[in-house]
Amino acid sequence: MIQERRTEELHGVLGMERRNFMPFVAAAGVLLLLLAGAVIVLYNEQTYREAKTQQVEAQSRILASTVSAALAFDDRKAAHEYVKALAVDPQIQTAAVYGPQGQLFASYSRSADVALPAKISEAAPTPTGEQLVVTTPVRQGMAPLGTVYLQTTIDPISRRFERYAVLALLVTMASLIFVMLGVAQRQLAAANERLRRQGHDLVDANEKLRAQIEQRETAEAALRQVQKMEAMGQLTGGIAHDFNNLLQVIIGSLEVLQRRQQVVGDDAKRTIAAAVRGAERAATLTQRLLAFARRQPLNPKPIDVNKLVTGMSELLHRTLGESITIETVLAGGIWRVNADANQLENALLNLAVNARDAMDKGGKLTIETANTHLDEAYAHTNEIDPGQYVLIAVSDTGAGMPGDVLSKAFEPFFTTKDVGKGSGLGLSQVYGFIKQSEGHAKIYSEPGEGTTIKLYLPRFMASSEATDLPLEACGLPAGQSDRLVLVVEDDADVRAHAVGILNELGYSVLEAADGAAALQALDAHPGIKLLFTDVGLPGGLNGRQLADEARRRCPNLLVLYTTGYARNAIVHQGRLDPGVDLITKPFTFAALATKVNAVFDGREGSHRASAL
Amino acid sequence: MRRKARTVAAVRLLLVAIAACLLSLAATHARAQTPSVEYAVKATYLYKFAPFVEWPAGAFEPSDPLVICVVGNDPVADLVDEAVKGQAALGHPIEVMHPGASSPDARCHILYVALRGAAAASLLERVRGKPVLTVTDAANEPRATGIVNFVVQDNRVRFEIDLRAAAENHLVISSKLLNLASRVSPKP
Ligand SMILES: Nc1ncnc2c1ncn2[C@@H]1O[C@H](COP(=O)(O)OP(=O)(O)O)[C@@H](O)[C@H]1O
Ligand SMILES: [Mg+2]
Repeated sequence: MIQERRTEELHGVLGMERRNFMPFVAAAGVLLLLLAGAVIVLYNEQTYREAKTQQVEAQSRILASTVSAALAFDDRKAAHEYVKALAVDPQIQTAAVYGPQGQLFASYSRSADVALPAKISEAAPTPTGEQLVVTTPVRQGMAPLGTVYLQTTIDPISRRFERYAVLALLVTMASLIFVMLGVAQRQLAAANERLRRQGHDLVDANEKLRAQIEQRETAEAALRQVQKMEAMGQLTGGIAHDFNNLLQVIIGSLEVLQRRQQVVGDDAKRTIAAAVRGAERAATLTQRLLAFARRQPLNPKPIDVNKLVTGMSELLHRTLGESITIETVLAGGIWRVNADANQLENALLNLAVNARDAMDKGGKLTIETANTHLDEAYAHTNEIDPGQYVLIAVSDTGAGMPGDVLSKAFEPFFTTKDVGKGSGLGLSQVYGFIKQSEGHAKIYSEPGEGTTIKLYLPRFMASSEATDLPLEACGLPAGQSDRLVLVVEDDADVRAHAVGILNELGYSVLEAADGAAALQALDAHPGIKLLFTDVGLPGGLNGRQLADEARRRCPNLLVLYTTGYARNAIVHQGRLDPGVDLITKPFTFAALATKVNAVFDGREGSHRASAL
Repeated sequence: MRRKARTVAAVRLLLVAIAACLLSLAATHARAQTPSVEYAVKATYLYKFAPFVEWPAGAFEPSDPLVICVVGNDPVADLVDEAVKGQAALGHPIEVMHPGASSPDARCHILYVALRGAAAASLLERVRGKPVLTVTDAANEPRATGIVNFVVQDNRVRFEIDLRAAAENHLVISSKLLNLASRVSPKP
């Protein structure tokens, strides 16, 4: 591309030179040709005149010689005859013979208009224009007898120019060719210029188109993902359902066999028991398939997730082993959700198992609960209903997932683990169950840092309970334009979202995509009051390091962190100090408004944040 | 200056000649040429023949004057002296002699025979074979004519040329002169 543009520029430069050069060459060529033509014509004209003069002089001398006797013996008739003989030459206009005293002796005129001097003087008139006059003295021996006077027309200019017509034609044609060459060159250059401009336009249009296509592809990819999950659910669902029924028949039959003790011996009993265990394992797998397909029979009841998590702690400790510490951060006043408790436990267990697998050298598992609100925008892009949800976030300090794994992690049978270790059905069960419960599941992960998986379950509203909206009920605190906020976020969409909210609230907002840009902005705008930064930033400076450096430069700067990770996970992993102001993604309009206002008012936001 | 002097010297005759021309123009078809003009013209013609004649080698040396001999007596003969005054022929001065009929000068280049009848014939016979341009006038009715013989035609002085006689006298006559002759008798 750069190469192409270079050659293009080079062509442009050459084209420019040629454009400037060609008309000059054409003009010079035409001028030269004309000059050469003129010189040739002038030269010819000169030689023609000389030849003509010589010819007329010869004629004149001949006449002078022949007429001498007639002059000497006063024979006008003879003289007239001689003179008339010259009429054969059509160019001779006048021929005359004058006597020794200059008196007219004999003459011939082609036409009456030709003036003939009545007397001839010694100094003959010089040839003028198209006339050539020659006088020759008549002598016989030494004696002067008189003068011969000849007046001829030189070929009329038109006749002479007829002779030059071919030359003129050639010169004209050559000139025309030069001119046409010049014109063609100019048009070519213009056409090239147009073409180049069109090319640029085309590149621009192409760029726009590519951007559009990319956008659409992203949207389509998201849609495809949803559709793929749907299709997979349909497929696995159908098989799993039949399979489940068949397993019920097998297990039922085996149990009948076990009860008929007289029929079988101990040996057979052990065998039957093994078959039952295998069938039950198969039934569990099938259950998970059904879960992904959202076809498992659910038994939703209003439950308190805090209680459920607490009840699982023993199981989790056993599952995770000694090397992994477990933190649970449970929000007070948690809303109830309407869900199948067994399946929710299954889901949390699956997440815990995955966390354990990701932390083979030990680490920390954090389970948080919170009341949250998912707004229209977020709900729309994730195809869920906006509203109030209870969040259960499970975070680990494990290996994390690269993007391609993350995008497929929810799919059934997708695993990166060795055969026998992973079934690929853990996250698919979580996904299917949460979806079937009209909730929402989301993975945040950074390779090397860890993973947070957030489960949103819709708030359960009993008819007797008042529908209170604590966050929005108190009205949103407006911002002030003298409060300058710097938003630092590498994800352009999230950044735009945050900037949009803050602008709408009335804050003045600057934005930066990474730590370096943020520091530059801070130096350039000493008026920045609040640094609102993502914790995970690319470019060697994470959110915390950025905040530390910024604080060193302006000690009074307020800092608000944001992260996709659950707050306590981040704090407990030591990535942030407890007590810092933090808002977790996804955040709502109201949540950000409240949080930013709280930070500005110097209120300790951590209580509020933990409530989120 | 010399040229001017010569011109002035020639004026008289030339005036006569011009007058003759003009008169001849005026009188071409009216009446005959005035006899005196006719004689003057003939007298002038005598030396005018010289440039159209080629004398044999030795007969006309560059240092020699052109010698015009006039033998006999007629109106023309009287005017010859007058006519050649101040004239030159082929760069030679002109000398006019009037020798006796019996002994025409051996130096004569042009001999005007102003004799009539047999006298003319005998004189012509005497110079036959000598490099002399003999001139006779038909008006004198000579028994024999010279190489050149004046005649008057249409009231104008013309001349006949006898090439045989010229050849006998070793003279070559210019074709230009022959072209003007009213009659040319051919060589034998
Ligand atoms: N907490 C986690 N940390 C890192 N990778 C994970 C985590 N959870 C899931 N994964 C990735 O997602 C894949 C799918 O998980 P899952 O559906 O539970 O199947 P399985 O655990 O049997 O492989 C895993 O193989 C793993 O690569
Ligand atoms: Mg798993």
